[in-house]
This record gives sequence, C-alpha cells and structure tokens, in this order.
Amino acid sequence: MNKRISRVFLVDDHPLVREWLTNLLNQLVDLRVCGEAAGAGKALDGIRATQPDIAIIDLALPEGSGLALIKSIKAEMPGTAIVVLSMHDERFYAERAFRAGARGYVMKGESTSSIAAAIREVLGGRLYLSPRMQAAFAERFADGDLSSLHAPAKKLSDREIEVFRLLGQGYETRRVAQSLNVSIKTVQAYCARIKEKLQLANASELLREAIRWSDAQSAG
Amino acid sequence: MGWWTGFLEQPSRTWIAIAAVLLTLCIGEFDYATGTLVSLSAFYLLPVSLAAWFVGAGFGLLIAALCVAVWVAGSMISGDASFGGPLLIAWNGTVQFTSFVVVVFVLVKLRRLNRELESRVNERAAALTREIAERERLQHLVLEASEQEQRRIGQDLHDGLGQHLAGTAIAGQVLREKLERRGLQEAADAKKVVELIEEGVSLTRRSVKGLHPVDLNAEGLMLALEEFAATTSRLFDVKCRFVCESPVLIHSAANAEHLFRIAQEATRNAVQHGGAANIVIELNTLEEGYELRIEDDGIGVPRIPPSTGGMGLRIMAHRARMIGAGFHAARRAAGGTEIVCRLPVAIEDRLAS
Repeated sequence: MNKRISRVFLVDDHPLVREWLTNLLNQLVDLRVCGEAAGAGKALDGIRATQPDIAIIDLALPEGSGLALIKSIKAEMPGTAIVVLSMHDERFYAERAFRAGARGYVMKGESTSSIAAAIREVLGGRLYLSPRMQAAFAERFADGDLSSLHAPAKKLSDREIEVFRLLGQGYETRRVAQSLNVSIKTVQAYCARIKEKLQLANASELLREAIRWSDAQSAG
Repeated sequence: MGWWTGFLEQPSRTWIAIAAVLLTLCIGEFDYATGTLVSLSAFYLLPVSLAAWFVGAGFGLLIAALCVAVWVAGSMISGDASFGGPLLIAWNGTVQFTSFVVVVFVLVKLRRLNRELESRVNERAAALTREIAERERLQHLVLEASEQEQRRIGQDLHDGLGQHLAGTAIAGQVLREKLERRGLQEAADAKKVVELIEEGVSLTRRSVKGLHPVDLNAEGLMLALEEFAATTSRLFDVKCRFVCESPVLIHSAANAEHLFRIAQEATRNAVQHGGAANIVIELNTLEEGYELRIEDDGIGVPRIPPSTGGMGLRIMAHRARMIGAGFHAARRAAGGTEIVCRLPVAIEDRLAS
C-alpha cells in the first residue's frame, strides 16, 4: 500500500471553513493540506512556495477575485489542478470558473460529502460537476450549443459576426450601435437573428455566448 | 405686437404717466367742447386712478391737480356761471381736488395691500415647493436606507451566516467520517445533521435572494429578471416570460435594483389582483434610454385608482421617480395591464462612464 499522498492548498477567507476543511482532508489517507491562505495575493505566494497538487479556491476573496487567481495559477503553475468551493451559484459561475482553468466546482453547503470525491476526480485527471450541472451541460451539448462554440463564425453573416464580437467584448446594444454607426433597432434586429441562428433563449444567453466565443477567440 | 403684450402684462411707469397726462388733456378738451351743461368731472377719475395705481401717490396728486386746473380753466373759458368769482373758483376747485385726493389715497393703500398679499402668496408657494422637495428627498433617503440595510443584511447573511453554516457542515462531515471509520451507527445521525445544516445554507441562500436580488454586475438585472420569471412560473399558476432582445447592461446597482423591484411588484399585482394567466417582462433598449415593460392578460388596473390602497402602483411610481425614470400604468387595448418604466440614457450613462 504505497499510495501517493496528494498535497492540497486551501484558499478561503473564512477561518472556520479552512480549519474544518483541513480536518476533513487530513483524516483521509491520500490527501494532506500543505498550506492555506485567506486572500488572493498570499495564496499565489503560498502556492508558488508549496507547489501543491491541487488548490481548493473560493471565488469571493477579500483581495482580488477567485477567478483572476485561478487564471494566474493556471498561467504560472499549470501542474496545479484547481477545484472551486464557493457560495456562488454554480449555474452562473461554474462555467466561468471552468473557462478560467478550474477542473471542478462544488457549491459550499450543498454537497459537503462530495468535496473529497471532487478532489479525487480532479486529481485523477477528470472534471467534477454536480449532477445537476452535468445534466445542464449534457442538455446543452445535446442541443448543439457547446459544439457551436466555434461555429458562430460559420453560421453568422459578416455584420452579425461584428455585432456578436462587440457584444463579446462587453459592449452593450447602444455602444454596438454607436460603433457600427447604425440605429439601435438595427442592432436589435441583428441580435434577434443571431439568437435564432445560435438557438439562444434571450439576451443574457446571447451575451454569455458572445463572451464565451470572444474568450475562445482570444485564447486560441 | 411684442411691445403691446408686454405693455399689458407689465405696463411701464413712463408710458402710464404720459397716458395719464394726455388723457387729462383730452377729457379737459372734451369737457370744454361739451359746454357747461354736461358735467364730465367724474371722467377725471380715470387718469387720476391710473396715475395713483401704476405710478404712485405723488404722481397721482400731480395729475389730480392738473385735472382740477384743466377743469377750472375749461369752465372759465366757456363762461360757466358757477365760476363767477375767485372765491367760488377756489371753493369748487378745492372740493374737486379733495375728492381726487381721497381716491388717490384709497387706491395707493389698496395697491400696497395687493402687493403685500401677492408677495405673501409667493412666499408661501415657495415654502411649499421647498417642503415638497424636502419630503421627496426624505422619502428617497428612507427608501434608499431601507434598501441599503437590506443589501447589508443580505451580504452579512451570505458572507457571515452562510459561510459559518458551510464550515459547520464540513465539521459535521468530519465527525460523520470518524464515526463511519469506527463502524458506529451514530454515523447515520451525523449524516442527517450535515444534511440539516445544508438545508440551513439553502434557506440562507433563499433569504439572500429575497433581500438582495440583483447581482452587482451590469448584466445582473437581466439574470435576475430571467430567474425571477422562471421562479414565478414555477411557484404560481401563471406563465411568466422574460423577453430581452439585445443585451441591456445597467451599471448602477441602485437603478438595477429599483427596476427589478418594479418588475417584481408589477408581477405580484398581476398574479394576486389581476388574475393574469400570462405575464411578459421585457427589457428593451430604446434610442432615448432603457425600457422595462410588464404586460399581463388579467383584469387590468382599475379605471379610477382607489383612494385607499393601490400602494403597489404608487410605490412603483415612486421608485421610478427616484431613479429619474418615466412611469406609466394603463389598461391594454387587448385586456390586462401594461406597466412601463423608461430610464433615460443620460442618467444611466452618467454612472457608466
């Protein structure tokens, strides 16, 4: 029985959470907490120093954001896997966390018993999502939504792509209209057509899709 | 045309003075022409009154004296018998002058009273306007303070109680695993405790949603309305849809929160009082700003707003006013109610930049 012990770094601003998470993980034979931090700055220093196998990160941190921290870790130490443990609603944040580089998302206080399982899944090279999010992702995949991540360029006209690109850069309707020198009504008509072509339910989905596409474009 | 209407609204004192003198001379001439049998002495009151009312007591007396002089001169030239001797002239002239003096005095007094009254009314009106503005400011502060407090409580619940419970759930999980390792039956109880604490976290989350529904980023309002429409459809026997053609980003958290509360109130009214089966919440971008529109197919708002109650509409209108937005609630031609709130772009952009 010479199982390798994986080292875990905790980032959470709540002392109670850190303390009991340490207790929880340390009583498992295959995991050992090697360090902890309450803020993003200290976390990055600590992770550099300890080089853990995996980091458990809260999204709401007193200094800096968890998402930015995930990106920094990903850029500096790609070998460190990341699991998010947050109070934030997974429906809105799981996808962003995954895009930033996390491999697992657990909602605090919702599935406490699966924290260890999530860590092991991610250490094993797999992704971890709650069954509810897995179902939601699968549904979107079945709808062709995920596969269309790079498809907009093929489905949309040049002008629609232009609108889609500006939306993805965080421009809203009025600014898109201004920068393309067209009326707001025209932009809305483009938006309606884009939504129809990409099968998006409404503008917030359109915005999320546009941001995701824009991120993917700039990443690759 | 311009000078004439200006003259009517605020006659210049010089013009009145000239007119009074000319009028006096005209009446004198006419008095002379009509002869001694027709008395026109009452007509002199016109220039005297004009002079006293519009120019002042001194000029009024001057015109009174001029009138008496013209009248005496006219009568003497036309050979009036009653102006036989200097004594009679002095007597008649004095009587006439005295009566003019009384008129001048009364008019000047009346004029002063009138002016005082006017200025007092103006003062009161200004005070009232100030008071109304002050009251609105206070109402604004009260509502803002209560909402700020709600946000703070929500934040505390989320960051304090929620995190504490989450930590406690982990502690419970530690206990459960220890008990399981020893093969004790109490592990099942510990599992139950963890689940109960997790329910506590979910209750906390729900309270936070109620207290602080709109996430603090610009797309927060779209997400909050989307979720709200879904929740409404699930909890009540209605179909509530959120329609948003193109992204609407509201940068001010206060504006977003007020718009959300208006949508919430309108939807609640539609469900509870309107008996609606379908509700549509729209968020639109217009050339001149942003529009929140809530339409339902219920019984419609009452034609005559109830004198008591109807607080929902009033609060919605108040919220709209507080963020500088236009508000209107009406019956739809097709039946049901439409509530429209328009936020001018200038107000939102000022905060965005």
